[in-house]
Amino acid sequence: MIKVEHLSKKFGDLVVLRDITIEIRKGEVISIIGPSGTGKSTFLRCLNLLDRPSSGSIYIDGIDILDPKADVPKVRQKMNMVFQSFNLFSHLTSLENLTIGQTKLLGMSKKDAKHKSMELLKLVGLAEKADSFPDELSGGQKQRVAIARCLAMDPEIILFDEPTSALDPTMVSEVLSVIRRLAKDGMTMAIVTHEMDFARDVSNRVLYMDEGLIYEEGTPQQIFENPQKERTMAFINRIRSLNYHISSPDYDLYALNAEIEIFCEKQILPRKTRHNVLLLVEEMLQIYNPFLHSTILDMKLAYSEKKESLELVFENTGEAINPLDKKRLPDELGLRIINNLAESIIYQREDNKNRLTLMMRL
Amino acid sequence: MKKSAILVFAGLMFVTVLTGCSKTENAITSFDDAKNAKIGVLTGSTGEAIAAAKFPNAQVKSFDDVMDSVAAMKSGQLDAVIVAFPTAIQISKLNPEFWYLPEPLQNEDTAIALKKGNDDLLATLNNIIAELKADGTLESMKNRWFKADLSPYKEMNITLPTEGKLLKIGVSAAREPFSFVDKNGKVTGHDTELARIISAKLQRPVEFSDMKFMALIPALQSGKVDMIVSGMTATDERRKSVDFTQPYFANAQVLFVKKTSVASTTSLSFFKSIANSFHSNIIQEERYLLILDGLKTTVVISVLATVFGTLLGALVCFMRMSKKSVLNLPAKIYISILRGTPVLVVLMLIFYVVFASVNIDPVPVAIIAFGMNFAAYVSEIFRTGIEGVDKGQIEAGIAMGFSGVRTFIYIVLPQTARRILPVYKGEFVSLVKMTSIVGYIAVQDLTKASDIVRSRTFDAFFPLVMVAILYFLISWFLMQSLEYVERITDPKFKRRKMSNA
Repeated sequence: MIKVEHLSKKFGDLVVLRDITIEIRKGEVISIIGPSGTGKSTFLRCLNLLDRPSSGSIYIDGIDILDPKADVPKVRQKMNMVFQSFNLFSHLTSLENLTIGQTKLLGMSKKDAKHKSMELLKLVGLAEKADSFPDELSGGQKQRVAIARCLAMDPEIILFDEPTSALDPTMVSEVLSVIRRLAKDGMTMAIVTHEMDFARDVSNRVLYMDEGLIYEEGTPQQIFENPQKERTMAFINRIRSLNYHISSPDYDLYALNAEIEIFCEKQILPRKTRHNVLLLVEEMLQIYNPFLHSTILDMKLAYSEKKESLELVFENTGEAINPLDKKRLPDELGLRIINNLAESIIYQREDNKNRLTLMMRL
Repeated sequence: MKKSAILVFAGLMFVTVLTGCSKTENAITSFDDAKNAKIGVLTGSTGEAIAAAKFPNAQVKSFDDVMDSVAAMKSGQLDAVIVAFPTAIQISKLNPEFWYLPEPLQNEDTAIALKKGNDDLLATLNNIIAELKADGTLESMKNRWFKADLSPYKEMNITLPTEGKLLKIGVSAAREPFSFVDKNGKVTGHDTELARIISAKLQRPVEFSDMKFMALIPALQSGKVDMIVSGMTATDERRKSVDFTQPYFANAQVLFVKKTSVASTTSLSFFKSIANSFHSNIIQEERYLLILDGLKTTVVISVLATVFGTLLGALVCFMRMSKKSVLNLPAKIYISILRGTPVLVVLMLIFYVVFASVNIDPVPVAIIAFGMNFAAYVSEIFRTGIEGVDKGQIEAGIAMGFSGVRTFIYIVLPQTARRILPVYKGEFVSLVKMTSIVGYIAVQDLTKASDIVRSRTFDAFFPLVMVAILYFLISWFLMQSLEYVERITDPKFKRRKMSNA
């Protein structure tokens, strides 16, 4: 139904979408996930030409809508959009928000439009708010009216641009259940969302977007349970990390400690954990100290919110040596502390680098 | 409403009391007494030069019209006014507490002014004046118009031609008995009669343009009028810019002052004097008709200028909001020029420069000038209103399948209208009040009508207060209509109405 080929979008020098090729078939529910600022919304807005793509082509039912001769308003009627900020027409009642498009664009009689609009308001559970103005509705109610407004135009596809991001957490579910119901009725939808659980059970296909590309795509099972690519994994497992680069023995330990503390605070880790991380890092750096004048050490502290695990990775160049080798250490005190704090310690030699991965208990 | 009526009334009382007690009492009986006096002169008249030459130490104040200077003298702000003696006679007829010093300040020749280079017409006019002088017509005119009593004027019967090239005469009809507006709203007077005689002799139908005295020469030069017959003195300075015929009247400027012993005017009760004032300013000579006509003109100009200005403002706003500099630059320039120029200047520029050689009715010119001024202000009001509409709603309209234009009509416009109306109303009321300057281009609006009444009665208080009240009422009524629009554009109004029903 929609075929996108080599779509790209630039705002001035800023490249938002690099090269997107995808096909959306009738009846599909597609979730688009990914970190902020990777062009998810822009992609959606390019589909209905609210933002004009810089290059590439979009075919809808075989018609190239980027062709200057294409009747863009007509095309847009077939793929209506639900916005993050609702965008209800504030001078019209809920009902009039629905009927305006039907009477002015579809040429329906006022009576028919009103009748159909009431049905749709019933569908989203807001028939009794038909005469209310947008400023008299809660956020969740506004978004449900906005969805009904889309449906009023009999669209072939609805584009949802973060429909729940501007909502109070208590109102998210009322909007999501309306969308779920549409999915069940076989509506074709493309949904940009940050609600992972929702995306997983409502969609037949998930697009993970990053760096202006469709970075990985697959069924919800593939993407959520078994992501193949590194960034997808980090995103799905909600991994956040801290990197520190040490290139001489005279590094600033206090600055490093401060950064670790800030990181732990941001992830709301318990005090005890924070203390343990600091202790572990200090002991590890003690052990690394003899190497520091001849090698470069990269340290990475990664926290996965989903798995609730903390991972500490040290990588250094140079000859293949496991710094934690008992035989090489002057005493076992440091090692004992480290073994005590870490759940598992793995040594790997890869790409001419020594890598030590320590998993921490929380 | 009742409370405000009481307030207005109290205000009027206060003003009356203030104007009632005159301040200076040192009477002037000779030119010497006037050395350090406060002297009024008429802008553009020879009085200005006389005052500077004869009373170098006096405080000289300029007035546009005689009645303004008389009103100032009545309220004690002036000690004397320099006027032509027929005017002085006229004023003292109605105000016995004034008279003039018999010794003339300067003798002057009153003549008809013509645009330079009109030698044929000049020669013809000179012949006509010589003829009138010889057959005693001028003398008879002088006796009939310049008389000391209040008996009605006897006008000469003149059969005016109806066919032929129009003869446009510039007059300042606020100078009885030279030229003034009679009870039928017709321009009449000594000079006007002369102009009619000339019209008959030249076999050209006559048309009078009544304007401020100082606007006469510009009007002549720009071709708005063919000649000025309005008690104009042939001075050397004026001769530089226009040609004068031989004099048709020997005039003199005199010093108009307060009488030494004011024959105690029978002090009337407050209400009695209000009633008298009402009678002489409104009822006598059916002056209310004049006021009503002026009222009509003011309303017509206000309403049409608002409509024209709103449409033009919408166009300017559209251009201003365009991203193309070909469109938005002219709009920006237009807005800053019109907002930075006094509307009076714009009005006179359009009348005397742009339409200089076109014979155009001044009312449409006023509508254009005020409309242009209004457009500059409202275009920016519109822009603020449009920019205030939530961008998201515009996007929603576009995404729904509305074209840009239809989104504007169905989504942006209804919200803009409601948002801008309160400011727009204010701008509209200032426009109504601003129209009071159209007298400069010979339109008889409400203010001009009151000027005409004042020029006959030399009573400042009543006509001014009445005009103030009338302006208030016009604004109030027109405002009500806009308030109605404001109510119906409130989306919640319909619902409230339904739930009330």
